Amino acid sequence: MLVAKTITFRIRRFDPETDSAPHWDSYAVNVFEGMTVLEALHQIKAEQEPSLAWRSSCRMGVCGSCGMFVNQFPQLACQTQVLHLEADIVSVEPLPNYPNVKDLVPDLQPLVEKHAEVKPYIIHPDLKEMREPSGEFLQTPAEREAFSQFTYCIKCGVCLAACPTAATDPAFLGPQALTQAYRYSADNRDSGVHSRRDSVGAFHGAYQCHMAGACSHACPKGVDPALAIQLLKRALVLDNFGFGKKESQSAKVAPLADVVKELEEFAPPPRTAE
Amino acid sequence: MRETRLWSLHILVIPIILVLLGAHFALMHYAPIFYALSVEKAREFSTMIARGKNIGQFVVYILLLAAGLYHGLYGTRGILRELPWSPALAKLIDLGILIFGIAIFALGVYVTWWTFNFELGG
Repeated sequence: MLVAKTITFRIRRFDPETDSAPHWDSYAVNVFEGMTVLEALHQIKAEQEPSLAWRSSCRMGVCGSCGMFVNQFPQLACQTQVLHLEADIVSVEPLPNYPNVKDLVPDLQPLVEKHAEVKPYIIHPDLKEMREPSGEFLQTPAEREAFSQFTYCIKCGVCLAACPTAATDPAFLGPQALTQAYRYSADNRDSGVHSRRDSVGAFHGAYQCHMAGACSHACPKGVDPALAIQLLKRALVLDNFGFGKKESQSAKVAPLADVVKELEEFAPPPRTAE
Repeated sequence: MRETRLWSLHILVIPIILVLLGAHFALMHYAPIFYALSVEKAREFSTMIARGKNIGQFVVYILLLAAGLYHGLYGTRGILRELPWSPALAKLIDLGILIFGIAIFALGVYVTWWTFNFELGG
């Protein structure tokens, strides 16, 4: 591959076993067109610094493992092309707003704990049907569209790293968890706003969002957490004043026979031999 | 939920503040137009005291004081509580803001009431 440019990578290093504080190391990398920050890190590790640590997996923006603070912006290293940064020096740091495990590895435990706190699953009033389904919960395309974009979250934690509120308030649930709280609350199969309000309606929940919008700007999957949080606030207020979604409004079960019949009606006609 | 109610109220008072601020501008800054007075006459002490004795103005300012204080102090609380305080200190901040708000409201009511009852040459 043709080398397009030599770029200096300034990488924040920290090894808790040997270092008392983080420090910066620089590495020159011959960058070719299309090369990502993740590929540059692999090259540095292979040719210059074998002890460099980071977390990555799929290399295609799906697993959400390689979130890093690249040139002062939280993003996925595998989705960020070095030449698109238009800089001769590229700084790479671990994601802010998380404890640092080593070098570029953040400890995502706060993200996981906050995510679990908002009950990120369908809460349907008919528990028996949830556990032993007798049919399908039907959902129209419009009902799906109400929360569709929020399902694209890959739990990379980039939004929480971008959030200025999370920077000063570590207890703030943050955009990822709150977006997932809305994603499920807006689902027509769910009636769980009421049971989620202890966490999302508390001081460090949705109301602490000042709508800076940094989360939406940073999300590598195009999710708009800032919007989800405002919609969640509305859902909480409506629920609080008795105008929220009622349990009786949750999706009803359609017997499997009916679903099959409906599918058959919409199915294309069977092919006939010519 | 307490936080939901507090937040809802802070949003609810926004239109109220806007309407009352409009009334404040009409009563105070555009008094010559609102009361059809000359600018000099509108600025006279006796005219201002006369305005202060108007029950409508009295009610507008008490409501504006309450709404503005609530909205402002709720925002201040949000900023202060964003810092990583211990739960005890966070409660202390809430209490301090509540006491401050009540004290300022009481002072504002006293001044408005004093003006409402002021007698020229009395």
